[in-house]
Amino acid sequence: MSERDARAGQDVLRRVGEASVLILISLADGPKHGYALIQDIKALAGVELGPGTLYGALDRLERLGLIESLPADDRRRPYRITAPGAAALRVHLDSVERVSAAGRLRLQLGGI
Amino acid sequence: MDDPRATRLVQIVLRCYPARWRRRHGGEAAELAALLIRDGTPAGWIAWSYLAGAAREWLTPRPGRRLSTVACALLVAAGSLGVSAGLLASTVPARAAITSQGYRFVPCRPDPAEPVRGVIAALGRPRLSSWEAGHGRSC
Repeated sequence: MSERDARAGQDVLRRVGEASVLILISLADGPKHGYALIQDIKALAGVELGPGTLYGALDRLERLGLIESLPADDRRRPYRITAPGAAALRVHLDSVERVSAAGRLRLQLGGI
Repeated sequence: MDDPRATRLVQIVLRCYPARWRRRHGGEAAELAALLIRDGTPAGWIAWSYLAGAAREWLTPRPGRRLSTVACALLVAAGSLGVSAGLLASTVPARAAITSQGYRFVPCRPDPAEPVRGVIAALGRPRLSSWEAGHGRSC
């Protein structure tokens, strides 16, 4: 992914919302199906995604080419993060980290 | 899903999604709901989440979906709200009519020809002074 693509990825993640970012983070260590995603996100972020929200975000991410679905086993369809998805997530997390560091520094300077 | 009522509720709500979505996710969405209910998640919460998801799915413009379809969905939603509001509004004059009928027997101002005591008697307040009977009441 070029720098321009990475910038576009960052913009996309800013627009897609928190649920989509959490899904990408959850898929970063391997493919998961819906139920595993909900459980993992609950454990890592303390956020209980509703199933309607989950499928909305999965559809959006798939349309953007950031994740892809794998062949379903039984009735469970696993999803996997794509290379552009991983790059977009990396750029987005770097951006969040920069903002977070700036926020902490300002809190220190403000003596709060 | 163990609870048949919960199964039915989720199945009904899943039917609210567009056919394209149901073909793509219908089976796994029902399976996911079953697993969540088994874990103790309230079926109502799951159904509500799917219902909100279905509304978003219909109202989000898609490349394959014509704008007129989205406009129709919005019109139906607005129409439903309008009918509800109309039904609510129609009950207000009815209530007002009932209320006004209740006061029709008592004149707003006492008739000068009619003795004040007659009005007081009609109101059932025998110890009311003449000033209160004549001026104290609002119309």
